[in-house]
Amino acid sequence: MRQTEKESFEDFIKSFFYGSRSDLSFKFISDFSEDQASDFLVGLFKTLVDAVDDDDLAQVKQRIMEGQALSYGGGHLKGFTYEDGPFTPMEKPLAEARLSLLTSSGHFVDGDDPEPLGAKNMTQAQAESRIMEFIKEAPKLSVIPVDTPADRLRVRHGGYDTRGALKDPNAAFPLKRLKEIQAKGGFKALTPNAYSFVGACAQTRLLKETLPEWTADMKAAAPDAVVLVPV
Amino acid sequence: MSVGHVARSFEQEGIPTVVIAVKAFENRMRSMALPRVLLTHELLGRPFGRPFDSERQTEVLEAALDLLEDATANGDIWEI
Repeated sequence: MRQTEKESFEDFIKSFFYGSRSDLSFKFISDFSEDQASDFLVGLFKTLVDAVDDDDLAQVKQRIMEGQALSYGGGHLKGFTYEDGPFTPMEKPLAEARLSLLTSSGHFVDGDDPEPLGAKNMTQAQAESRIMEFIKEAPKLSVIPVDTPADRLRVRHGGYDTRGALKDPNAAFPLKRLKEIQAKGGFKALTPNAYSFVGACAQTRLLKETLPEWTADMKAAAPDAVVLVPV
Repeated sequence: MSVGHVARSFEQEGIPTVVIAVKAFENRMRSMALPRVLLTHELLGRPFGRPFDSERQTEVLEAALDLLEDATANGDIWEI
C-alpha cells in the first residue's frame, strides 16, 4: 500500500495494532488520537536523545510505561468489576510453605505444545495474526515440571511482545529465580509442576469451562500459596 | 484479566495467592478486587524486569513473598 497510495497518519497509527507495523510493545499507539500519537512520538524522540546525553535509559522506559498505562487505563473490563473479593490468609510461615507458580505468559515445554486452535507448530507470528481467534477460545493450561531445563522452555503468545521472554524466560516466568530463593531458605519447596497459559482467551469460557478444573487440580497439588503472573 | 479470575477462584477455594503485574495493569487489578497485588514498574511482557537482570527479578519475587506473608485482608496493593 505504501508503494501505491499515500498513507494517512491515522493509518500509520493503526498499523501498530496487528497491522503492517504490528508491535505489541507499542500497539497502544493505535488507541491514541492523531494529536496524542504525534505528541507521544515527538516526545519519545526527544527522550531518546536525552537518554544518550545522560547515559540513562530510565527516562525512555518511563515514557514507554506511561504510554502502555494509558492503553490499559480505560474501562475495558466488560462487566468483570467487583466491589470486593475473597481473601485466604497464609496458614504457614514461608519457611514451611510449599509454593506454586502459574503465569499467563504462554510458556510450555518443548515437545508438549498445547497446539492452540488445533494448529501444530504454530509460530509467534501466526499466533499474533490469529489473536482474534484466540480470544474466542477457552485457554489450555501447560504443565511445566519445575526441573525443566531453561533451554527446553518455549513461549508463544499473540498478545504481548515475547522478545524479552525469549531472551530470558525469567522476565515473565521466573522459575529459576524461585528455585534460587528456595535454595537459600526463602520458602520450603515448590510443587512438582508450574503452569502457564495464553491469557488472551475467552473470559466467560475461562470462568465457566476451564477454571473449575484448574482450581480442582491446583487444590490437588496442595500448595500453601500460588504466585500468579498476568503478562 | 484472565489471571484475575484465576486468583479469585483459587482464593475462594482456600488457596492464598499473590499476583505480580506490571503497573500498566493497575486499573484492571484494582477493578477485580484481588487479594494481594504487587505492581512492578516494568514494561509489558517483562513483569520481573529486563531479561537477565537476575537481581531485579529476585527483588520482585522476594517482595511478592513478603506481601504474601504480610497481607491481612483483600486489596493489599504494593509497588516496586
